[in-house]
Amino acid sequence: MRATDEVAAAPGIHVQGIKKSFGTQVVLDGVDLEVPRGHITVVIGRSGTGKSVLLKHVMGLLRPDAGTIRVGDDDLATLGPRALRQVRFRFGMVFQHAALFDSMDVYENVAFPLREHGFKTAAGQRKMREPEIKARVEEMLGAVGLTGVGAKGVSELSGGMRKRVGLARALVRDPEFLLYDEPTTGLDPIMTAQIDNLIRGTQDRNPGITSLVISHDMAATFRIADHVAMLYEGRVRLYGTPEEFRHTDDPVVRQFVEGRLDGPITV
Amino acid sequence: MNPVSALGHSIIAWVEAFGGYLQFVGRAGVSGLLPPYRTRLLLKHMHFVGVQSLTIVIITGLFTGMVFAIQAEIGFSQFGANGLIGGIVALSLTRELSPVLTALMVNGRVGSSMAAELGTMRVTEQIDALESMAIDPLQYLVAPRLLAAVIMVPALNMIFNLIGLAGCWYVAVKQLRVPEGGFWDRIWWYVDADDIVGGCIKAAVFGFILASVGCYQGFTTRGGAEGVGRATTTAVVVAGVLILTGDYFLTRILAPLSVG
Repeated sequence: MRATDEVAAAPGIHVQGIKKSFGTQVVLDGVDLEVPRGHITVVIGRSGTGKSVLLKHVMGLLRPDAGTIRVGDDDLATLGPRALRQVRFRFGMVFQHAALFDSMDVYENVAFPLREHGFKTAAGQRKMREPEIKARVEEMLGAVGLTGVGAKGVSELSGGMRKRVGLARALVRDPEFLLYDEPTTGLDPIMTAQIDNLIRGTQDRNPGITSLVISHDMAATFRIADHVAMLYEGRVRLYGTPEEFRHTDDPVVRQFVEGRLDGPITV
Repeated sequence: MNPVSALGHSIIAWVEAFGGYLQFVGRAGVSGLLPPYRTRLLLKHMHFVGVQSLTIVIITGLFTGMVFAIQAEIGFSQFGANGLIGGIVALSLTRELSPVLTALMVNGRVGSSMAAELGTMRVTEQIDALESMAIDPLQYLVAPRLLAAVIMVPALNMIFNLIGLAGCWYVAVKQLRVPEGGFWDRIWWYVDADDIVGGCIKAAVFGFILASVGCYQGFTTRGGAEGVGRATTTAVVVAGVLILTGDYFLTRILAPLSVG
């Protein structure tokens, strides 16, 4: 079996029938979603449709009222806090506003996961010495085009630089699953294209990574996605390739993709 | 909503908040007992709570001792008992004034800062980021702050005692001409080790209250800058009230021990 076939055969993220309400507000109402291993899946939808809530379920930060979430071979609903933490070892997450620790500089932010957990090896976690950490952090900062900014404080960074540092931090421990929460929100079109390139390039360089991206930017979605799912009224309205989204007859999906005011989606 | 219903809702909300606080403190305590032990973070927070509060504690202690000496002299001079000033001020400082005033001053500086810092981390998703990296935020953020306050507020309380006594000595002996020998004799006569230990126990409890309330308010912050501001104010007010009411109950508990 070739390496890419092995990647494709390994289980990715499997979401089945999850429901979640906050008080009387139903946010997710039976979401089914397949995130295949080694691909980028983008979840789109209007603001407030539960995209970030779905992401927090995948990370095990929220428990569903009903339904199951499988990450690889693990069923998150059956895991206790300690086992959930073990699952999170396998994740990297890029937050909407980067969520960098403002008490640390750029270098310390990227080095933080390595200092806490070391680096994963076939035998498990391995503590790293400072020269190894330094080399790895510089490698990751170089990969996101930020060589030489390690000593800068977080407050000195632009929005685009913050997102790239966030991506470097998410990648530094070589995760199996990479989650992005609206990675291009608030960025100018050039910086958006650069972040999209980074997401696509990261995936192409690391075919073992499974990426799940939350977005409402259709241009970015068509640039990076292997698969797209649209959340609407608490469920997945359409799941398919970017091509299928371009040519669908579903009026709800068409209105969202084309960004029109008139249509079944009311403002 | 009718008044009875409104009262019922506010009681339920209060009970829920108190239950949430107890659960938070319990979980933070358990997390702090489990490895990895974060010594470096503990030292950092001890420096912040203790060393960086020294100036306000010294100023407050000095002027408390000085003003109390003046007030005591006004009372005692009416029946020629000026020699009691040192003993009475020392007793008041060690048992009540020092732990309470130290805790209130540290609460204003440290409790508010903890609420604001953790609140900002909450609304900017930094706490979620810790969780996503498989790090227990209660162990990383809360446990070292709680332990630092429990260790350092009693230490600051002892410094308040010493500085307050020095201020009292200066006013009583140097300005009001109270005989120095009698001043010190009365202090040794009135103040026991139990008084000092009791004051330190109070200070440790107050340190725990101000840090746990500050961390809880910060940790449960919702809604941007306004939420952080609300959490900070609530932390200072709630911890201040708990320190003053808790002082009464602690005094009831500790007083018989001291007499015994």
